[in-house]
Amino acid sequence: MATREKLLASLHAATTFRGGDRPLTYSALARPYIDAGKRSLSERIALLIERLRGYDAEVSETTPQELHATITYVVEKSGRKQLVVPVGLPATWLGPATNWQRDNGSAHGTIDAADGVMTAASCAIADSGTIALHHGPLEGRRLLSLLPDWHLIVLHSCQIVETLPEYFARFVEPPGLVTWISGPSATADIEMTRIKGVHGPRFLSVIIVHDELSRPT
Amino acid sequence: MRASLFIACFNDIFFPQTGRAVVSLLRRLGVEIAFDARQTCCGQMHANSGYRPEAWHQAERFLRLYTEADHVVIPSTSCTAMIREQYPALFAAFGSESQKRELAALLPRVSEFSEFLIDKLGSADVGAYFPHRVAYHASCHGLRALRLGDRPYQLLAKVRGLELVELPNTERCCGFGGTFAVNNAEVSSAMLTAKLQDVLSTRAEICTALDNSCLMHLGGALHRQYAGMTVMHLAEILVRTETSFAEAAS
Amino acid sequence: MSGPILDPRYALPFAEAALPVLRNAQLRKNVAHAIDTIQAKRARLVAEKADWQALRDAASAIRSHVLEHLPGYLEEFETRCTAQGGIVHWAADAAEARDIALKILAEAKADSVVKVKSMTTAEIQLNAALEQRSIAVFETDLAEIILQLGDEEPSHIVVPALHVNRAQIREIFAREMNLPNLSDEPQALAEAARVFLRRKFLTSPAAISGANFLIAESGAVAVVESEGNGRMCLTLPQTLITIAGIEKVLPRFRDLEVFLQLLARSATGERMNPYTSLWTGVTPGDGPQNFHIILLDNRRSSILARPVERQTLKCIRCAACMNTCPVYRQTGGHAYGSVYPGPIGAILTPQLMGMQHAQSLPFASTLCGACYEVCPVKINIPEVLVELRAEVVAQGHQSIGGLFERLAMQVTSFVFRDERRFQVAQTFLRFLARLLTRKDGWIHALPAMGGKWTQTRDLPGLPPQSFRMWWRDNEAREPAKDA
Repeated sequence: MATREKLLASLHAATTFRGGDRPLTYSALARPYIDAGKRSLSERIALLIERLRGYDAEVSETTPQELHATITYVVEKSGRKQLVVPVGLPATWLGPATNWQRDNGSAHGTIDAADGVMTAASCAIADSGTIALHHGPLEGRRLLSLLPDWHLIVLHSCQIVETLPEYFARFVEPPGLVTWISGPSATADIEMTRIKGVHGPRFLSVIIVHDELSRPT
Repeated sequence: MRASLFIACFNDIFFPQTGRAVVSLLRRLGVEIAFDARQTCCGQMHANSGYRPEAWHQAERFLRLYTEADHVVIPSTSCTAMIREQYPALFAAFGSESQKRELAALLPRVSEFSEFLIDKLGSADVGAYFPHRVAYHASCHGLRALRLGDRPYQLLAKVRGLELVELPNTERCCGFGGTFAVNNAEVSSAMLTAKLQDVLSTRAEICTALDNSCLMHLGGALHRQYAGMTVMHLAEILVRTETSFAEAAS
Repeated sequence: MSGPILDPRYALPFAEAALPVLRNAQLRKNVAHAIDTIQAKRARLVAEKADWQALRDAASAIRSHVLEHLPGYLEEFETRCTAQGGIVHWAADAAEARDIALKILAEAKADSVVKVKSMTTAEIQLNAALEQRSIAVFETDLAEIILQLGDEEPSHIVVPALHVNRAQIREIFAREMNLPNLSDEPQALAEAARVFLRRKFLTSPAAISGANFLIAESGAVAVVESEGNGRMCLTLPQTLITIAGIEKVLPRFRDLEVFLQLLARSATGERMNPYTSLWTGVTPGDGPQNFHIILLDNRRSSILARPVERQTLKCIRCAACMNTCPVYRQTGGHAYGSVYPGPIGAILTPQLMGMQHAQSLPFASTLCGACYEVCPVKINIPEVLVELRAEVVAQGHQSIGGLFERLAMQVTSFVFRDERRFQVAQTFLRFLARLLTRKDGWIHALPAMGGKWTQTRDLPGLPPQSFRMWWRDNEAREPAKDA
């Protein structure tokens, strides 16, 4: 504890106001950068798709009515059989042909052995092609979307913002856990060549659900 | 318009022809030019080498000599940058309140040579004629400290007969850096070699700049290597006219 | 080992340390290729950002504000992090930080750790301390594995193995992972690392990380990475130790909107790095249940106390300064004798050493200003370099330019204080120069320190008439005289 008190005392001494310009308060800090984008929803979605494909992610689009069929199609096309899903994922998303495994705190080895994982997401930022997971019941524990080699994300169009500041405007209350994913894991450590897939999932697929095309039932 | 020339110690001793060109050109443009022989050095070498009290003497001397001047013109980007960027801190550390006020009033009247032509005289076309292939080296201080931008290119574009060739990686330092060239001579030489590759790739006859210290560095290596390219301060290009060429020929 | 020494206490002065590098053709080619590639990508992505300068202004203002209010924000972070189950430690110096980490690992009975690439742990030389206590250390960042297995030293803070090419990496992996048939395709090399480390991630009892940002309002920690090795370390082991410099704190979660737009673009030339993780203390059922964070001073508080040098602490470790630096471009990182190379290393390293070591580093720059131009938080590195040079000179340190320089500076200063002395000195200089000037009008060899100039360049001989002589002879009669 002695270090803490001594250190804080020296930091207080170092930061005591000694004339010159008064330090600004937090709320007085200027933020002259662009906060909100100008794109329409469809332009925003188009930009996100362009960015995701730029990262070698696969993207499909669907409507709320056809989501179930699209998931089945994407999973079957991938040829993967054993998929893990978070506890809270709607049962209506899960097709019969796949061996879906609900994560109830399964052992690391079990999740590592799965062919893939399907989760929802909290938000996507079109400008940088970033998908945000906050790890609630629909997004699962962090390791769930990390160990399997394929990550399938279901994203709703209403979750897509254009800029990073728009994301932060949506989540004023800081989430406890956050993972921002911008493409599959990658490295450029070998001669600056971008290599897809080192430790995280090497394959990323995204299904965008066009809520605006939802037909009232 | 009246202007006082601060030649810089380095130009005074090594490159008097630059000073003569500035005087001749400014007169041609109708400027009444003065030279106060009490001037010595801006203090850049001392300040950048960590010898602050030594630099302070030069800074104080500069203020004393020029506080009454209408305009001060300096044909050196790094000396102008020294005065603009480092004098305020030197005066804050060593100067009196009245000196700080005088400096603040003087600084807007201190111009680098190309700034003076474009910003104060408003003339990109100074009536120059120079029928040669020329590359322009942007000098770090001109580029980033003074932010000269396209001023030198505006001036070069209006020189009749001149063919301007683009110098690749022009934002990259030539490796001079004052005492760096001696204290880190081998690294400095490696940087110089890289710069020379770019300079020679232009196949220009002349490499010009707004700072003779960069040019001494580049020119010294070009001469050592029998590269067949020479260096010349921009003022020495702008001062040439059809008449001066005819006179030189006859 | 005959390689470079990255401990400022024992490293050679920069000019000497640079010599073997300047002669190493392969290393220089590797370095130039890597930084040219990053710079081209960065330039493209910065150009598409219409509000780049506004983001830099905001980032600079936020970082300055944090430093002005550092103790308050650290206490806020501590309170929030503790409330969420994290354990906060404070370390005055490297030794104390290492001791705290060792104690935590002993309590967790951990005999091995996986590590996320962290400059702070390199700064405090943690790996050596762990290995001394027989704790197996596994670096997990691809570049760090290359260095660890190849017994190489890092030469860059973001891409630490940029001086090693694929053929060299293949040799290291083939030997150390026992894969004689490994190809030198980057994809195959990355796959080898993936397989090599997967078991370690799944079985390691503890992990050690650095931090990119600490969020005061929530007590969260942010780690920015590319490969997913960070996520593995941050979620799989039961015990997690994060070591962070005290300057890393940001006031609010929202402030990341500024820094995450700047960091990846500046560091790797990407719009966003593949993975960024934030966690807040301990989350039941998700990730390490035993989370410790060590807040490290190690002379940061004394940097904070100095008004000009303080801006050094605004740094977010993006490495844009070294990527653009014309000196670094020639020498790479090893010549700096520190885990922090390049322009930021040239100002940070001597300050972390209390100005008692690495005094040659502030002089390892031409003050060209390229670093300031690209810095996303607008650290005026040339200004700090000049400030530190003045400190080194004030210390009476002789090893930089030597006594000769000190004498030359004092003599020239004496001369410049009076125009008559300057006139006399000019005459004397012309006399000396005439002795050295060849028929072609140039000086080809200078004596003493001047020989450092003429080893690669000639020097123009002095014209017979200086400018002031010409003015006196031709112009002084005219009345136009100012001042």
